[in-house]
Amino acid sequence: MDKRRLWEAVRPYVMILPAMAGIILFVIYPVLYLVKLSFYKYNLLNASRSKFIGLDNFTQIFTRGDFYSALINTVVYTVGVVLLTLILSLLIAVWLSRKSRFNAVVQAGISIVSIALVWMWMMEPSYGLLNFLLKSLGLPTSQWLQSSRTAMMSIIIVSVWQGIGYYTLIIVAALQSIPPSIYEAAALDNAGKFKMFYKITLPLISPQLFFILIIMTIGSFKVFDTVKIMTGGGPNNATTTLVYYIYEFRTTSIGYASATGVVLMAIIALLTFVYFRLLARKVHYQ
Amino acid sequence: MLAQRQVKTGEAPPPNVRESSAAAYVLWILGVLLKAAVILVFVFPFLWMISTSLQTFEETMAFPPTWLPAIPQWSNFVEAMSAGPFLTYARNSVVVTFSVILLQMLVMIPAAYAFAKYKFRGKELCFALVLLAFMIPGQVTFIPVYLMLAKWGLIDSLLPQIIPFISNAFGIFLLRQYFMQIPQEIIESARLDNASEFKIIRKIMVPMSMPALATIALFSFVSHWNDYFWPLVMTDSDSVRPLTMGIAMLRQTEGISNWHIIMAGNVVLVVPILIVYLFASRQIVKAFVYSGIK
Amino acid sequence: MPRGLRQEASGNDGNTGLAGGVTLASIELVQVTKSFDKNVVIKDLNLKIEDGKFTVLVGPSGCGKTTLMRMIAGLDPQTSGSVLIDGKDVTRIPPGRRGVAMVFQNYAIYPTMSVRENIEFGLKNNKVPKEERIRLVESISETVGLRPYLDRKPSTLSGGQRQRVALARAMVKKPAVFLMDEPLSNLDAKLRVQMRIELIELHKKLGTTFVYVTHDQVEAMSMADTIVLMNQGEIQQEAPPEVIYRKPGNLFVAQFIGVPPMNVGELGADGVTFGFRPEHAVLSAEPGDFHYSVRGTIVTREMLGSETIYQVRTDRHTFMIKCTEDRFSADQEVFMGVPADKLFFFGADGNRLDERDQRIAGYMNALRVQSHG
Repeated sequence: MDKRRLWEAVRPYVMILPAMAGIILFVIYPVLYLVKLSFYKYNLLNASRSKFIGLDNFTQIFTRGDFYSALINTVVYTVGVVLLTLILSLLIAVWLSRKSRFNAVVQAGISIVSIALVWMWMMEPSYGLLNFLLKSLGLPTSQWLQSSRTAMMSIIIVSVWQGIGYYTLIIVAALQSIPPSIYEAAALDNAGKFKMFYKITLPLISPQLFFILIIMTIGSFKVFDTVKIMTGGGPNNATTTLVYYIYEFRTTSIGYASATGVVLMAIIALLTFVYFRLLARKVHYQ
Repeated sequence: MLAQRQVKTGEAPPPNVRESSAAAYVLWILGVLLKAAVILVFVFPFLWMISTSLQTFEETMAFPPTWLPAIPQWSNFVEAMSAGPFLTYARNSVVVTFSVILLQMLVMIPAAYAFAKYKFRGKELCFALVLLAFMIPGQVTFIPVYLMLAKWGLIDSLLPQIIPFISNAFGIFLLRQYFMQIPQEIIESARLDNASEFKIIRKIMVPMSMPALATIALFSFVSHWNDYFWPLVMTDSDSVRPLTMGIAMLRQTEGISNWHIIMAGNVVLVVPILIVYLFASRQIVKAFVYSGIK
Repeated sequence: MPRGLRQEASGNDGNTGLAGGVTLASIELVQVTKSFDKNVVIKDLNLKIEDGKFTVLVGPSGCGKTTLMRMIAGLDPQTSGSVLIDGKDVTRIPPGRRGVAMVFQNYAIYPTMSVRENIEFGLKNNKVPKEERIRLVESISETVGLRPYLDRKPSTLSGGQRQRVALARAMVKKPAVFLMDEPLSNLDAKLRVQMRIELIELHKKLGTTFVYVTHDQVEAMSMADTIVLMNQGEIQQEAPPEVIYRKPGNLFVAQFIGVPPMNVGELGADGVTFGFRPEHAVLSAEPGDFHYSVRGTIVTREMLGSETIYQVRTDRHTFMIKCTEDRFSADQEVFMGVPADKLFFFGADGNRLDERDQRIAGYMNALRVQSHG
């Protein structure tokens, strides 16, 4: 009998062991190691010859212009992507929320293309098609990825396209779980369409919106693929984001790259904290 | 009278439109057209990609652009695939993606069950670590992980693309939500029927949470099949590189001119996902409706 | 096919003392048809609901009672026909402007708003000025006993409290018509009985037109001024409770209202059915001399305290008999008798034959013949 009780007490730990091992080994430990690395000038050829330099890497970070420009690029990118994706996803989801087969097809079409075919957009030939459309409409064409002004915008647009499918799906599911009788009661209370949206729909899906907001912010701060493939960080570092910045130093200055990674983590943690502080009150859980 | 009219798409006007004026009907038609336009905007580039992949070089350079190739150039695909060791790349992508999914399932299911149904010391702490892992991206951990794996001599294998991902924090989180909604009574009656815990997991929990599992597997598939950053920083030789890196290199080797080749490569990358996605996408909405992300 | 019967309301009208400033309106449905896609659920229905009265729409699931009420509210517009409130055709008028308030079965209170905000939502939309809004909310919350909960969120309230919120939200708008869709079905038994009485008193006080939907005939009988009994989209009978009980229009009505339902049996002539209520039969150990007397055996006995229900099996039928005394036990042989004035006859079409009908005498004899001691 005792053996059985022992097994029952140990069993939960056995069940979570592989998962926790994976997390500790490949997430927690690396984070701690990263922090340690940030205090060193790492020697790739001979690890033992790495020099402890304290906070030097960090002072470098905060005094270098290229760090700040990477930071600003990342912030601009994040704000652009989060705002546009959230608003567009919300609008499209509301538009498509009525349960009809047509809506389901549109929904499926959008999500397939944007979730699964992520790569396609990144490879689209210099917006040749887009330029043709612009020309035929009499509008000026653009060099899109060649000009630093439009390069960032192009990357933002591509990322928004990639995100909309996924997030509309989440919002549509949330919208469809609102009992219709609440809208009927509001109709009897003589509420107009906008009033229903602001006072009923939005609060009821606020948990999902909050979730999306956090996920998108974190996701935007770690953008890399799109940048590397479409612009290679250019032109003139106009699209170099923080992770791309880290990537550039990953073999030459490991300590410096690690320190930047630490700063990136701190920023993400800070943002999450701010979100919770500011918005948690407005989110209506049930 | 209005109710009889149905647009070719098979969509019928909603009840409130049927009863009201002609103006409302016109507005509804506009809405349908706009939705069709939205689909077009999303789907058109996909069709464009396929079309370009079958054109000749001259056709791709033509202005105004060629919509449909005169003769489909299937040779483009051959050329794309021979620009590098693409068979190896494809094999790597398949092995990595499926290994990751399989391992994740094996690791994630018992963990989610334990978090959902058991009480044990340290449960909150461990789950907090899971949530933390959810929020810490690979872009932060890649340097130390690379150094670690290099020290163990694993860089020349597919392992660096597989083992760091066996713990799918998102999956554990979602699955735990789902498990928590399965009524305790079902599990208790199974225990009364003398079923072991692992049998309960296998025969009850897993079948009942198929939508969630399908969703998690699908997301995992898409994210690992499309993964570019991690293999980029973890691989040193062609023998272990996945398809994504091969396609990206196509862009560099072919320059910015041979779009027909590049698009062909893209199609090869993209079509498997399409197939898998079409197969499992219905489960996604179901999973989110049931578990409710809160 | 049983035809619906109309009967003028007779008997006690009940109090209709009007509280100050309250409006009330009559409702009329004219040739109303409702179909969902190809399914016709209600066809050419006509109904007049008197103003100020408590009208109950009752019937089994799927009979169309909720559909009817939603048409009055404007939530599911009719496919054809017209709905008039106070003589005015409201077909084109949106639900929020018909002067109608509704209490939903699941209450449908706005989960993200406080109780106060829930109640004043409709007032705000109708541009009621702030001071008056505050006054109205305070007074209504006093009436329903929600004063201490005004700033709470619905998720922190019990079922009964949530129902009061739904009620308050409806009442505060001072509607001309009150609609209630099975509002008591989600409450536990004790609370249900209490709320029944409160609703009756509320109606007495307000005097507004109440339209109440339920599948529970006990609720219908106890609360209604007029009962509208429906089945499969058709009105079976429309009359006050006493009339429905004592003079059911057809077999369906006779067997729907009353617990246990009316006992029926085939007469064997002209396809006629006879019937009598469980409490009108007399059981005794010796043979009696009632118009319809038969011998039988007690199959089951349910002693409920104030009354006992026996299942009695005769050679041809099984009847449920309700007695105030508990004199018999299972498997005992008894003699059952029914006096002539308590017998009903229903024609082959299901409609009840009126007392003055010529054929009654003949059927009475046929029944007498079947009696045996």
